[in-house]
Amino acid sequence: MATVELERVHKAYGATQVVKGISLSIQSGELVALLGPSGCGKTTTLRMVAGLEQLDRGIIRIDGQEMDGPKGSVPPERRGLGMVFQSYAVWPHRTVAENVAYPLKLQGAARAEVARRVAEALGWVRLSALGDRLPQQLSGGQLQRVAIARALVAKPRVLLLDEPLSNLDAALREELRGEIAALRARLGTTMIFVTHDQGEALALADRVALMNRGVIEQVDRPDVVYREPATPYVATFVGGANALEGKVGAGHFVVGEARFPLPPGTEAKDGAATLVVRPEDVRVGGEGPALQVSARLFLGSATEYRFLLGDRVLRAVGPHREDAAPGSRLPVAFARVRLYPSP
Amino acid sequence: MTRRWPAALLFLGLAAFAGFPLALLLVRAARAPDVAWWDTWAAPGAAQALEGTLVTSAGAALFAFAVGVPLAVLLVRTDVGLERPLKAVFTLPTAIPPFILGMGWVSLANPKAGLLNLALGAGTLDIYGATGIAFVLGSGGLPLVLLGTGAALSRIDSSLEEAARMSGASAARALFTVTLPLALPAALSGAALTFLYAASAFGVPYLLGVTATPPTPTLTTRIYGEVLMGASGLERAAVLSVELLVLAALVLLASRWLTRAGEVRLSSGKGLSIRRMPLGRWRGPLTALAVALAIVLVVLPLLAVALTSVQPVWGQWSGLTTKHWGAVLSNPRTLSAAGRSVVLALSSAALVTAFGLAIASTKRRWLEALSGAPYAVPGTVLALALLVAFSREVRFVAFDRVAFVLAIGNTLWMLLVAYTVKYLAFGSRNASDALAQVDPSLAEASRIFGASPARAFVDATLPQLRGALGAAFLVTFLVCMTELTLSVLLIPTGSDVLGTLLFELQSYADPGAAAVIACAFVLVLLAAQALQALVVGKEAR
Repeated sequence: MATVELERVHKAYGATQVVKGISLSIQSGELVALLGPSGCGKTTTLRMVAGLEQLDRGIIRIDGQEMDGPKGSVPPERRGLGMVFQSYAVWPHRTVAENVAYPLKLQGAARAEVARRVAEALGWVRLSALGDRLPQQLSGGQLQRVAIARALVAKPRVLLLDEPLSNLDAALREELRGEIAALRARLGTTMIFVTHDQGEALALADRVALMNRGVIEQVDRPDVVYREPATPYVATFVGGANALEGKVGAGHFVVGEARFPLPPGTEAKDGAATLVVRPEDVRVGGEGPALQVSARLFLGSATEYRFLLGDRVLRAVGPHREDAAPGSRLPVAFARVRLYPSP
Repeated sequence: MTRRWPAALLFLGLAAFAGFPLALLLVRAARAPDVAWWDTWAAPGAAQALEGTLVTSAGAALFAFAVGVPLAVLLVRTDVGLERPLKAVFTLPTAIPPFILGMGWVSLANPKAGLLNLALGAGTLDIYGATGIAFVLGSGGLPLVLLGTGAALSRIDSSLEEAARMSGASAARALFTVTLPLALPAALSGAALTFLYAASAFGVPYLLGVTATPPTPTLTTRIYGEVLMGASGLERAAVLSVELLVLAALVLLASRWLTRAGEVRLSSGKGLSIRRMPLGRWRGPLTALAVALAIVLVVLPLLAVALTSVQPVWGQWSGLTTKHWGAVLSNPRTLSAAGRSVVLALSSAALVTAFGLAIASTKRRWLEALSGAPYAVPGTVLALALLVAFSREVRFVAFDRVAFVLAIGNTLWMLLVAYTVKYLAFGSRNASDALAQVDPSLAEASRIFGASPARAFVDATLPQLRGALGAAFLVTFLVCMTELTLSVLLIPTGSDVLGTLLFELQSYADPGAAAVIACAFVLVLLAAQALQALVVGKEAR
């Protein structure tokens, strides 16, 4: 268990700034998810913590010791970390047990000790019976379990997981997600988890750091990120919310020709602003401007409606309505919104 | 493709011009009437020939492995400088006959008059003998290891190395415990191919072995010597060929097995990512080392050939002259040899491309594999087999009539057959690889719009194959232009092609003139490669 601190970390590849001044402080035993779209710098950030990439500026500390910064970079093998790769990276020329034994052998553990701890680690991921198999004989889910056992066997200070579930099919993903949560409860290792899947991040993490274009937009508990998004971007990425740019005036929000009455109790300053509203907070058939339905998608438990709003699309989710056929016009109102003054 | 007759016809052709002669050679060896097998193997020099082949080939393989593997790591997995030019130079020997490299080394390291010895003091270096043969063939076979290992190294995801780093391994340890073990089967397979390449070589062991003191005979040069002796020598040559053939088959099987065993561990290339290892302060020195190696192994011998072609007196530094160039270019013998080579090479290339395409279009794996087999047969053995099967003088008694029908021995047709059979693999492999890449829906689409199967093939499929077929044609043409091993045994008496002329001038008469021919060929080759790069570059865009 260890703390991890990133202080104003910068990284560029050539002229492209990938990470632009990230600061993040992770408590001992905490699981933090780095969440964001591809290209947001989350994997680069994780690889810098691992030591597989070097910083341009800033400092990374683990347990208070400087790992990378002005004094130079500690190579990955001397950081005492474990890592699970998206591609599993299980060595094809070694059996499952040999894969898991490798970190212990490098530490110079005695043979009996290696055997005992390998068996223990394979037990954690329920692969005890497959120690003699070669990786080519395993399924994707089993390979990822081998990778997890290998990363944990040497009791790393921090476990880094780079999109560990994204190469698996939906059912396996659920299963492995549960296992990671269980392992964490059992071992209490500090973990940093990179993912582009908001469901994964919200379900697993103690705190979610939402990244966009090389910066962290918000770091908070999952429920806070969901309920109180700090920026329109966070709201759209995490809740699939609509973000509309317009003007606030006289208790209304104006987008083009449409004037939406703001729900009572909304704090609003007059002027240009971005309005964020979740699809489930869009009421079809309330007191508001009539918009044209462009599509109606039956989702089972609810129905999604798409309304044309100028050249934008407004998404709403609610009970099925026979009268909302595509092409018809229906009044639309908002039950709850968040307003972000334009910069 | 359900029709059977095209495949059957192609098979019959292969059987007549490759299977039948080789079978005949085996029969002849087995029934050698007046020479018992044991006598042949126990004859003075025969054991030395086998030993010579084993020692020089193992030496070449070892050299190619020891140099090729680190070089492949450097060029594929690190940020070494000048990567592209280095790759181009190191793989140049795939297109240059090893005999020309050997000529260069004779000019450089002849113990008395080699240019390096003139600089370092006479007798410092001696290219003659087993070590020299192994060195020259090893640098000629280097691309086999380099390309094979490089291909494997470029299919090992960097995360495998990074996982080792995260487990506590240093960069060097990760290289030695993860990356190299994964690439090892491919590297060993490349070394085995180098062994085969060296064991099949004839020109270099002849040039550097026969006149060495003490002489270093090999199976190929010994077979050549026996054939020159006439009928009784032919019996012994047949027996020695079997020895070489068995050796080649064993090595080839080992190489195949290694490739297949290593294949399963390599990634398919989907979503593969390779991060080149930064060399840091070693980047400069290692780049310099690689450049120095490229200069010594490839550039230097070629420069030596060029220099020899403009030296007034061989082995003496006394200014420059164009007299060799003038003499060669105005010599009717050279010109007629060049004419013959061009005609033969063009026709062989056309036949190889056409038959290769025909074989690939039957989509029959077994036929394709069979068409590649003659390429693996050492040239000396293949030539001897054709000689036994189709020559009037030496035909095998029991097959008198069959052989007589196709009595093309001692004519240039024999060379055409030999070249086409030997290099058919270039055509069939290129065509079938390209055919596998072509989306069948292209042809299907043109069928939907009313084209017949043949029309659809010509309109939709064939244009996609143009690049591959062009490459097959060009490679075959270049190889046949200076083909030596088959040619020296099959050339009609009193006639020359460039390969045999080069061999004769270098070995007996006039190294300066030989250097001119070699030099001219290398220039043509470089021009052809530049042209091909240009065409490929244009098509890629």
